[in-house]
Amino acid sequence: MADKLSWTDLRRVLAARAGVNEKQAAAFLNAIQSQLVEALKNDKQVKINGLGTFKVQAVAPRKSVNVNTGEEIMIEGYSKLVFAPEAGVKELVEKSVLSSAEPTAESEQPKEIDPLKKLGAQAEEIVDILGDLGQSPKEEVKEPEPEPVAVETVVEEPVVEEPAVEEPAVEEPVVVSEPEPVIVVKEPKKTHFLRDTLICVVVLLMLLLVGYFFLRHQLGNILQSLIQPNETELVADTTETALSVEDEQVEVPKEPAPEVELNEATENEDLENIPEGRIPKEQIMAEWMEASRSVSPADGKYPELITTEAMHEASRLTWMAKRYYGAKIYWPYLYDANRDVIKNANSIEVGTPIRVPKLTDLQLDTTNAETMATLERLQKEALGSGK
Amino acid sequence: MLTKEFLGLVADKSGLSKKETEQLMTTMNAIIRESLMDGKSIQLQGLGALEIKERQARTIVHPRTGERSIVPSKNQLVFKPAGTIKDEFKKL
Repeated sequence: MADKLSWTDLRRVLAARAGVNEKQAAAFLNAIQSQLVEALKNDKQVKINGLGTFKVQAVAPRKSVNVNTGEEIMIEGYSKLVFAPEAGVKELVEKSVLSSAEPTAESEQPKEIDPLKKLGAQAEEIVDILGDLGQSPKEEVKEPEPEPVAVETVVEEPVVEEPAVEEPAVEEPVVVSEPEPVIVVKEPKKTHFLRDTLICVVVLLMLLLVGYFFLRHQLGNILQSLIQPNETELVADTTETALSVEDEQVEVPKEPAPEVELNEATENEDLENIPEGRIPKEQIMAEWMEASRSVSPADGKYPELITTEAMHEASRLTWMAKRYYGAKIYWPYLYDANRDVIKNANSIEVGTPIRVPKLTDLQLDTTNAETMATLERLQKEALGSGK
Repeated sequence: MLTKEFLGLVADKSGLSKKETEQLMTTMNAIIRESLMDGKSIQLQGLGALEIKERQARTIVHPRTGERSIVPSKNQLVFKPAGTIKDEFKKL
């Protein structure tokens, strides 16, 4: 479907709708065209019920200044043709959805999912490593907030994953700088050499930036642990995390209160008991994985409703999503919450009551890969409905 | 000029009966409204085009209280007269 209705389209549709042949429709449309111009010339104004009013409007002469010479000039008055839509038509247009605006939801999705999937893969790697250490993460901790979990995982990374995390940063310069001399040998021109080094530097910078982006939270801790070869920092952190999960895990043999003050001497002893130190880590991993799983945004259950709205002639799910949630891309949730009444998401009957569920912050989080995946899935289902 | 007069003129010109003209007119308006609803613009040959323009949200300031509020984005119907018509009416 083009986003334009041409004169010929109009003629064809009109003939089919009104039950007349195309010749009659053409005669009618041509008559409208010529008569409208005639009538406007005579009457300055033509009202068409159900559409609006065409008017000839006078523009008064006005003074202006020639920008080059500063001379005052007179712009002569003229008339122009304007159209004032009827109130109903105006309202209809305000609620209409521009067809060009639709696909943005789809094009946005892959962008955001890509980098975040890598994080998920990282998480899996970490779990694998932990699994190799001999203990399976079984504790199910109810702490679905992703942020504290992320901080906690950072804490244990320096111990378990420190080499893994450091590797990319160390390798990158080596790998990228290798081709540099090779190219120089092949092309002795100085400009090429300069250009290549520039490209290398830019690529390096970009890689570092990307690395920095992913390790933003972790960098501070890693640097600290590097600067201070003593493990006191780490110990403090691990004990802290141990404390935070102590409710479930009684195996950590510590007094609850004085721990916070971090007596370094005793803490160092505790670190020697490696298995003890590791348990919280596993737990945290389990917690993290659990959180990312329970995060899976829409299960088709929406406990709270904002309101219920009946579909009318100009209603669109996308538009309702924009009104209630702030963006059109959330419209699949509306479909999901109303599967029982929506047979075909592409044409919903007028008068259908649409339940508008309250969405959680997570469900509205477009930076969350799970959320976007769910939205994409729901959208596919919605677009596939009624077929 | 009101719709009825105009319909009479159109009926005379096209050779259709007034009833037919009226029916065609309502159908045409319905078609145009539906297209507008779908965000399509409409070309009216020899007259111009009815187009939909997206107006972005903007902030306004109440002149007396200095209060700021947001006017949400919306679509607006715009009539763009064809070049020939524009010239023709300039001289009126």
